[in-house]
Amino acid sequence: MSTPPSSSTTTGSNGDLIGTVAGPGDGPNEFFIVTPDEQAVKTGEFITYSVTVEGTPRDVIARVTNREQARGLPETFMADPHVAPEAVAGTLGVPTEDIDLYRLEATVIGFYDTNMETFSNPRQLPRPGTQLRTAPDAMLEAVLPNLGVGAADARTESGVVTLSSVDVTARDGLAHMGWLLNRETGAVDLHVPIDEFAATHLAILASTGSGKSYTAGVLMEEMMKPDVRASLLVFDPHGEYGSLSEMRGEDMFAGEDGYRPEVEYFTPENLRIRISELSVGDVMAVLDNPSDRMQERLAEGWRTMQQRESRTWGVDELLDEMRNQYGTDDASVGALEWRLRRSIQRNELFTTDMNVPLDDLVAPGRCTVLQMDTLSRRDQQMIATVLLRRLYQARLAAVRERGDDPNFDGDIIEFPLFSLFEEGHRFAPATGDAPSLGIMRTITSEGRKFGFGLGIISQRPSKIDQDVLSQCGTQVTMKIQNPTDQKAIESSVEAAGEDVLRELPGLTPGQAVVSGDAMNTPVLIQVRQRHTQHGADSIPATEEWRTAHEQRQEQPTRSEGADMGGGDSSGEVDLLGDR
Amino acid sequence: MSDAPTTNQPGTQNDRVDDCLAIGSIVSSNSHIDYTVEIYNETDRERAPAPDECGFGQPVFVKKTIGVDEYVVMGVIYDTQLVDPDQGRSGPRLAQGDQPQFTPGYVEERTKFAGVALLGTAVIGDDGTIESPTQQMPRWTLAVEDIVERCPDGVTRDFHTTEDGRLQLAYIERLLDVAGPLGAEVTLALVERLRESFPAKEHQRVLNVIEKDIRWQSSVDRGVMR
Repeated sequence: MSTPPSSSTTTGSNGDLIGTVAGPGDGPNEFFIVTPDEQAVKTGEFITYSVTVEGTPRDVIARVTNREQARGLPETFMADPHVAPEAVAGTLGVPTEDIDLYRLEATVIGFYDTNMETFSNPRQLPRPGTQLRTAPDAMLEAVLPNLGVGAADARTESGVVTLSSVDVTARDGLAHMGWLLNRETGAVDLHVPIDEFAATHLAILASTGSGKSYTAGVLMEEMMKPDVRASLLVFDPHGEYGSLSEMRGEDMFAGEDGYRPEVEYFTPENLRIRISELSVGDVMAVLDNPSDRMQERLAEGWRTMQQRESRTWGVDELLDEMRNQYGTDDASVGALEWRLRRSIQRNELFTTDMNVPLDDLVAPGRCTVLQMDTLSRRDQQMIATVLLRRLYQARLAAVRERGDDPNFDGDIIEFPLFSLFEEGHRFAPATGDAPSLGIMRTITSEGRKFGFGLGIISQRPSKIDQDVLSQCGTQVTMKIQNPTDQKAIESSVEAAGEDVLRELPGLTPGQAVVSGDAMNTPVLIQVRQRHTQHGADSIPATEEWRTAHEQRQEQPTRSEGADMGGGDSSGEVDLLGDR
Repeated sequence: MSDAPTTNQPGTQNDRVDDCLAIGSIVSSNSHIDYTVEIYNETDRERAPAPDECGFGQPVFVKKTIGVDEYVVMGVIYDTQLVDPDQGRSGPRLAQGDQPQFTPGYVEERTKFAGVALLGTAVIGDDGTIESPTQQMPRWTLAVEDIVERCPDGVTRDFHTTEDGRLQLAYIERLLDVAGPLGAEVTLALVERLRESFPAKEHQRVLNVIEKDIRWQSSVDRGVMR
């Protein structure tokens, strides 16, 4: 971090002089800069100039959005790719050094108002001839993320308000995600306020292989550090977060009071759903095409069962209840019996009595990973549905102080929760075809009040329910080339301006745009290295093919009888896995 | 430009400025770098220049002593004009009616003028080769009756070579300007000559680009292309 400058302005500028304002640009907040140095300013760079607003000199920050060459060698000098244009120019006696002039377009972001604790647009463009500097590193660290830096934070010992003097690293509850892409590695570190995205939800969107899970891993590491000690619940359909357990042994995660993050893994064997926890809608979702009459019978039976004292009833008790109501020979109940037994009773996920205790699942300083890679998509959705509903109700009860009520016998969770969904489009699909969608919509729209944050990770933003996606207040967007997905981001992510969308196809793995509530302005970053190993590398296909082939060659050949059908193994359901 | 001498091999007649063919003398100027030269004919010189020795695009030079140094002022013939005061009538003629005495006009008044655009200067070395060629505009003016000599190819090559061995054609813009409608043609004629003097591939490529550029630009100017 650079040393704080001694400046009398409210912010202080000590950056390199990079160019001069040439005049106003196309838009009301845009202006043109002319600079002779093509290297000094990259697109997306933050620059600053001084403007007097209501008698106070302010350092306004602007972002370079576009660049074009204003002056240079003529294109005819480039007629032969083997001849450098400089060689032609040299022969013709045309000066070749320092002749290039670049015309950059910049958009005003504003000056950082320490009273409002955010950017304020001065609504006035710099005068032509105004000198522009690169914004100082330390200042950017303080003002780019939404850290709520106020005048008191920025006041130096001499009483001058200097934003560059704010030591961001001294603050608690910040996630160090990486550094500004335009500057040197580590020059401007980006610390995102965890409170902000934990309350207003997070979306990590990127095409496959661009580093979604890696970035999520970085955030999870930050959230498990001693100054945060979050309660994390990760829905992991691919088993990508196995390496997070390394956090337990790393000294950097150890607190002075002996804190070590807990990392718990839940496999399908110890993930069980008590049937009585399901809502009738959940059951409808897993049944095969129930008729209207069946739905009505089921709803009535379910309602009666839920009013019972006992919570350990199962399909048999439900069927008994329905036969009591509709008679033993009711055709619809008979049809329901077959469906219920097939979808629920024979599915090991559902039990009559066992239920994952919420206390085991979540706790401050604990990261729980639900490894659901062996489950079908429907079962994954069921687990998410039931767990989210229970957790949400437990948070609701805590916030409404139901714990004081002696008659209340439900769960209570006294601390905020953050839940991360890998393959988020599975749990909140745009098609609406998932039992978990309802509760996810509820949490994203109302969870902020109850301290329940969601993180959605997905490679297909267009396949996520738009209500859920649009409620994710903070977005980490990485490389996305698919136009449909870009459009989905454009339409549902409010903070994604044109700048952000333009960057998306050109990003390389590990580069991300961070925007939304956690930021004062969208920022392009390089995601930092993870402290723990990344668990989602691609499988080296050629190597594995070769090994597998060698193994097969060594085995004795065996003939297999042709399957003429008629057996009980169709295999189709298992192969699809999604049914 | 640096004063360091060029590193060409001295000695061959082809790259020395002494004993070159005088092709004419300066009679007037149109500007600081645009001179009119009267080409010698058989009556002026024992060895008058042949048509190909004073043709369009022919590099020429004028020796000039400035202070103690001898310089050559380089130029190129960019235009020629024939002058015949008899306007096509040949033979002796009588004087005018009011002229009391018969005066046969036996003086040969037909002549050939050439326009010479100055390209730059160079110092004449002790061995007769040129050194420190510069293609900036000459600072001095030539005088009437200064003798214009035909520039040998070796000198032309040296004049177009920088001290670090690169090809230079820095006068092009001035030449195009002075030569007006014939500017592109004279430049192309020079480029053609330089092709023979600079056979190296990289020089040929640069000359190609320059030639294309000039051809394209002149075609655009004439409205043939856009």
